[in-house]
Amino acid sequence: MSLPKQIYAELEQIVGAEYISDREYILAGLRHAMPSSPVKPLSPAAVLLPGTAEEVQQIVRVCNRHGLKFIPTVSSLIGFAYPTALNTIILQLKRMNRIVEINRTDRYAVIEPGVRHGQLRTELMKAGLSYPVAAVGPGGSVLVNFACSSGDNHNQHGASRTNRYILGVEWVLPSGEMVRLGSLANDAGWFCADGPGPSLRGLVKGYAGPFGGFGVITRIAIGLDEWRGPAELPTEGRSPDYKLRLSPDRHKVFIFKFPTLDRLRDAMIEIGKAEIGQAVLKYFNATAALLATQSANDFWELWESGLFQRELSRPLYVYLATHSAEETAYEEAVLREIVAETGGEEVDPAIRAIYENNMDFFILVGFLQRVLRLGGAWAPAKLSADSVHHMFEIGKAIPEFLEEFAAKRLIVDAPDNFQIISMEYGHLAHIELLFLWDRSMPAWGEIPMQVMARSHETEIRHGHHGSMPPRSMPMLGTLGPLYSNCHIWSEKIREAFGTGR
Amino acid sequence: MLPLKDLRHTMESCNHCGQCKWVLGPKTKGYDYAEICPIHQRFGFDAYSGQGLLNIAEEILDGELEYESGLVDLIYSCTTCGACDINCKSVRDMEVLETILALRARVVADGWGPMPAHQEAAGAVAAHHNIYGRAHEQRFDWLAPEVKLTKNCTTAYFAGCSAAYRYPQIAQDTAKILNAGGLEFTVLHAEEYCCGGPLWRTGQIAEARKVAEHNLAVLEKQGIDRVITSCAECFGAFRDFYPRLGPVNFRVMHITEVVQQLIAEQRLTLHHREDRKVTYHDPCLLGRLSEPYVPWNGEIQAFGRHEPPKQWRRGAQGVYDAPREVLQAIPGVEIVEMVRNEENSYCCGGGGGVAEAFPDFSQWTARERCREAGSTGAAAMVSCCPFCQSALEQALGAADGGMKYLDITRLIAEALG
Ligand SMILES: Cc1cc2nc3c(=O)[nH]c(=O)nc-3n(C[C@H](O)[C@H](O)[C@H](O)COP(=O)(O)OP(=O)(O)OC[C@H]3O[C@@H](n4cnc5c(N)ncnc54)[C@H](O)[C@@H]3O)c2cc1C
Ligand code: SF4
Ligand code: SF4
Repeated sequence: MSLPKQIYAELEQIVGAEYISDREYILAGLRHAMPSSPVKPLSPAAVLLPGTAEEVQQIVRVCNRHGLKFIPTVSSLIGFAYPTALNTIILQLKRMNRIVEINRTDRYAVIEPGVRHGQLRTELMKAGLSYPVAAVGPGGSVLVNFACSSGDNHNQHGASRTNRYILGVEWVLPSGEMVRLGSLANDAGWFCADGPGPSLRGLVKGYAGPFGGFGVITRIAIGLDEWRGPAELPTEGRSPDYKLRLSPDRHKVFIFKFPTLDRLRDAMIEIGKAEIGQAVLKYFNATAALLATQSANDFWELWESGLFQRELSRPLYVYLATHSAEETAYEEAVLREIVAETGGEEVDPAIRAIYENNMDFFILVGFLQRVLRLGGAWAPAKLSADSVHHMFEIGKAIPEFLEEFAAKRLIVDAPDNFQIISMEYGHLAHIELLFLWDRSMPAWGEIPMQVMARSHETEIRHGHHGSMPPRSMPMLGTLGPLYSNCHIWSEKIREAFGTGR
Repeated sequence: MLPLKDLRHTMESCNHCGQCKWVLGPKTKGYDYAEICPIHQRFGFDAYSGQGLLNIAEEILDGELEYESGLVDLIYSCTTCGACDINCKSVRDMEVLETILALRARVVADGWGPMPAHQEAAGAVAAHHNIYGRAHEQRFDWLAPEVKLTKNCTTAYFAGCSAAYRYPQIAQDTAKILNAGGLEFTVLHAEEYCCGGPLWRTGQIAEARKVAEHNLAVLEKQGIDRVITSCAECFGAFRDFYPRLGPVNFRVMHITEVVQQLIAEQRLTLHHREDRKVTYHDPCLLGRLSEPYVPWNGEIQAFGRHEPPKQWRRGAQGVYDAPREVLQAIPGVEIVEMVRNEENSYCCGGGGGVAEAFPDFSQWTARERCREAGSTGAAAMVSCCPFCQSALEQALGAADGGMKYLDITRLIAEALG
């Protein structure tokens, strides 16, 4: 479906002929069905590659004038990046890919949407700086992770979720107006998202991010942490067999297993109290097996051996990243004491060696997309954050609804395939449950919805807070009233700001 | 040759993760030189990428996309460098390049391809057995009288069209090196035809098969059990294309592998010193795409199980060490690596028929590669493929930055003294 000639001409005038297309073969690159969905998304009417925030503003105004919808995207990795209505244009912000500033003194970086994790993370290492990278692969947009989607990450125990790192924001509203948040609003620099100018940080990001629902974020500043590793990744070997070892004086990985989830939870809380460790998480076991293998067949061989179910159904991954060998020795001693007190023991050394030999799991998580290798898809049935204690309560209730699907062989039998990541030294934690299904199953398209529905029923039964309410309309209807009527509030906000979608 | 319909699993499995557009995470070294797909870097739209070509292939297969000239241009602007393929395979069980090649074959079968320049090359091969349309009798003009050939030898040096007609120095240096190492070899003389690689990669399967079958029959008849090439394109064709046609009863070695072996056996000494800092460009077809083709006929069952198990070609076994070890053995040579190297090498822009059909884009790609080479501080860019040479030399010439291109055989020949 192409655009009327006159509208096309107006848009072309803004971006230039090279950066707009409504040819079917160009749109084909943005309209295939995701392996997770039986539905092919609607075709966009055109795709544009704007180069500046000013161009974005002008495009948004043209859209408003002609009743077009628009969706900003970068990698178009997730379903929200695709049209759900006719007359939608896609703005792919890949050309807006400048690292505007890296401020070593005040530790922030100003970036545009097209800057990717692989680029920023490794560029910052040269300056001894870092930030918490979402487990999405090197091509994911940093800005989108920080400002527009959730941003949970493996290292958030010693850091946090990305919403805590957003500083100045430059934002093109659905009206086309440009808003600058925080210190930026008064031309005072990028260092702060709250005052001396207006702070709308909660609206920009909230918990989960607006997923392109509230206009286009064109630049953000993100706070930075110290990087305790080398200036360049010391990667050895060839794809897909990389080895990435950091100095054991300052970087160490441990994996313990616990007899019960309660013991594991207690260990996580105690580690937080002791304020040690960079990453502390109970990781997924089927996902870990997928990341550790190179093909679906390799995965099945490993999975059917039962090793990861036996060793990693209640694992605690701990990554220490310190300033000195003495500090590492101290943290290790404290860690071992806590683990001994809570009844943990080390897992099979072969499993620990996987992570010691490739610490990318705590850096860029370059192989994360392996989770989709089984030829079908995965979906998160749980995704939320609350106290460590509450997250474990949710985890304990998972088999109640998941086992029935596994018993019917509709999903991979992996009831322990959930992660709980400690955040801010255990002040909070995040949970995510992934279930894996296959497209060759009859009526496979209905499996995710059924799993989600049963997951919600379990939550309501137990009074659990395990899903992000705004993720889908049916969820909003049932869970909204339990979350201070957030569905009504979000609708009001939508009305006040309008939306491009 | 797999038809497009047999690659549906690959097309349906793509989740737009973008790995095919970026250097693999652990190999990234900063902001610059992080992109890996030339067409995506140049044109920006997702349709221009391994992922986009899968989407296009699926719509063509399902009859949902009509042909038009822009679409055919897009399909033929891909350099078939395979960076998308090995990057995708680092995370997924998919055959991206296989699908791109099957798509080209389908475009040809549907009467929309190849590009006129490719048709011309096929016509030239049919008439003169070389892609340039030059007289077949001149194919061995490079063969100087002092080259020592051995009759009834089971090792053959296959020069290929490019070295034979465009870069005879490469063929002459190769022969000189083999003679210096005391390695007995022969050549096919008038029986050597184009390897067929450039035709295969542009979807002209029947035409490619014809010359390849000729070469296979000649090699068989002459009892050749080892073929040496100095051209990455020929090397790639022997390794990847020929096994699709039937059993291949000979080993293929690149000249750098031969030299590596001769040095290890102390049959060849590189003693002439010349101090220079060089950077090595891994040709796609000698590197990530040079793993031998292994046929797989099976079923993809639920949850991705391949029955029988499939041997994946992920680019890890390419010829990466031999050229580097040989360069290191040359007195005075210092190698500085580019960020995008080995299996993550960035294409020169010369392959896949792009140089012939889209010279401007081909040169854009070559310039991007030369920019990266320049950033290493090297004085010369070394490689071992006449197609790369053509693209890179032209870009370096236009840039006038002082960097030179050298084929590795020239350095070795010079070091022989
Ligand atoms: C396998 C997999 C694993 C993932 N793991 C994680 C994870 O660990 N942590 C995590 O946080 N996320 C994760 N995600 C979710 C998401 O893909 C990432 O957050 C990703 O970085 C988004 O970047 P993108 O460039 O792909 O964005 P896109 O997919 O292009 O966009 C994502 C959403 O943001 C909107 N958007 C894009 N740009 C803008 C903009 N400039 N202004 C306003 N809205 C915009 C889009 O409309 C869309 O709704 C994962 C996704 C997948 C498929
Ligand atoms: S890497 Fe593979 S799965 Fe990912 S977008 Fe590219 S082709 Fe698709
Ligand atoms: S083969 Fe090379 S140019 Fe073609 S899509 Fe893949 S990476 Fe891009």
